[in-house]
Amino acid sequence: MMALRTAATGMAAQDLNVDVISNNIANMNTVGFKKGRAEFEDLIYQTIEQPGSQSSTQGTIVPTGVQVGAGVKAGSVYTIGTQGSLTQTGNPLDLAIQGPGYFQVLMPDGQTAFTRAGNFSVNAQGQLVTADGFQVIPQIQIPQGATNVTISNAGQVQVTVAGNAAPQQVGQLQLATFFNDAGLNPQGNNLFTQTDASGAPTTGNPGVQGLGTVLQGYTEASNVDPVSEITALIVAQRAYEMNSKVISTADQMLQTNTQMKT
Amino acid sequence: MDNTLYVGLSNQLLLERELDIAANNLANVNTTGFKVEQLMATPDPATPPTPPGGTPQMILFVADNGVARDFSQGPLQQTDAPLDLAIMGQGFFQIQTANGTRYTRDGRFAKDNTGRLVTQAGDPVLDASSSPISLNPQGGTPMIGGDGTITQTVPGQANAQVVGRVGVISFADLSQLSKEGDGYYSESSGQAAQPVTGQVIRQGMLEASNVQPIVQVTDLIRISRAYDMVANMMNSTATLSDTAVQRLGSLMTTQ
Repeated sequence: MMALRTAATGMAAQDLNVDVISNNIANMNTVGFKKGRAEFEDLIYQTIEQPGSQSSTQGTIVPTGVQVGAGVKAGSVYTIGTQGSLTQTGNPLDLAIQGPGYFQVLMPDGQTAFTRAGNFSVNAQGQLVTADGFQVIPQIQIPQGATNVTISNAGQVQVTVAGNAAPQQVGQLQLATFFNDAGLNPQGNNLFTQTDASGAPTTGNPGVQGLGTVLQGYTEASNVDPVSEITALIVAQRAYEMNSKVISTADQMLQTNTQMKT
Repeated sequence: MDNTLYVGLSNQLLLERELDIAANNLANVNTTGFKVEQLMATPDPATPPTPPGGTPQMILFVADNGVARDFSQGPLQQTDAPLDLAIMGQGFFQIQTANGTRYTRDGRFAKDNTGRLVTQAGDPVLDASSSPISLNPQGGTPMIGGDGTITQTVPGQANAQVVGRVGVISFADLSQLSKEGDGYYSESSGQAAQPVTGQVIRQGMLEASNVQPIVQVTDLIRISRAYDMVANMMNSTATLSDTAVQRLGSLMTTQ
């Protein structure tokens, strides 16, 4: 009986769905988080009678075929990269990207990672780093004793040094874009790495060539909408229940078979 | 007398297949663009041999003769993802796959690493003239109109630029389409695809599966009860022949 296995694929799919939804809800307040969505596709069909096949030598064709599907599979977990709302923090090293683009981060293993989370700080050497202490690329050095760090929309970092009235530029932030953001590989810690699916990054100054602009004193909130996540959770739970109903029905029918005398 | 058993068996085989289809419907209750299916049954007449001194009574077996697919509109779900498209009314998106053009109602599209509009499986989405659509990587968020026209703002250009048009086609006879999995349909009976004109595409929406869970669960109950009843009938038939053999046997011993 195929129904048992078909329903099992349905339950497994809803299981994954709940995993993805719970991760979205857990990261509701994570800076720069982009929600994921479990994508389902129907599995292959067993063709018992091919639609369009001839039913006689007169050229008559069967009006419909008989095809029985084998259930559902998880296609992918797709990242929905819509803009999150901006939260004002007042911290001069909090940066939000408005529009497309990622900050580039140097990971300890020398790889470049990409992030939308702009809650940066300065480390002991005065370098601009992420919350985990990874350096921002291109490297930006805030001189000791610098006051009043200003970061423009176009990513220019200017500081005022004591004894010097005019602000001086200490660096230029750059953003990276991809052909396919959804193909980036999430690494945790709000970081992503490039893959063959995302394509190679194109870097540039904020605000040029379609890149987003940088907003100082703001962070980008996650784009998770709690109401739609809870709705999705209810739908997933009910779908899970219904698939378990199929399993118990198939089981009952098999039981009927074993109880038959002949 | 064995006819009862065979007719019962034909019904049980049908019910098992019906359960398989209901299981597939319920497994795909959350699959975008999925269309609900139902097994169609037909009486299958067979003429038994003439019994001694009587006229043959027609026996009706039951057989499945097709899977009906309900192509009615599924509810639209808002997702706000710019590359999620739903079709309102009839029509299919055209997808280029390794095995030829396939058709789908599933509009969860994405960009690939060269900027082409692709499905989740990475197969290019085709425009009205059956060629893949490339988005401008430096352009802004694509805006997709009701007729499938994709426009993007391009840096250095005052007006938004048209970068392509998603093609929507339909067929005269939808029952001839066969399902391939992954939400794809293929057409093998040779009917020509007809372009669908009009404002049928909704951006930022997805068409949910049109499976109605309540109908499917009711079906499960019906299938299960019918199966039980047929099994009971077959049991009583078996008891009947059992009793007949015993009675006749005892008659022989008393003689």
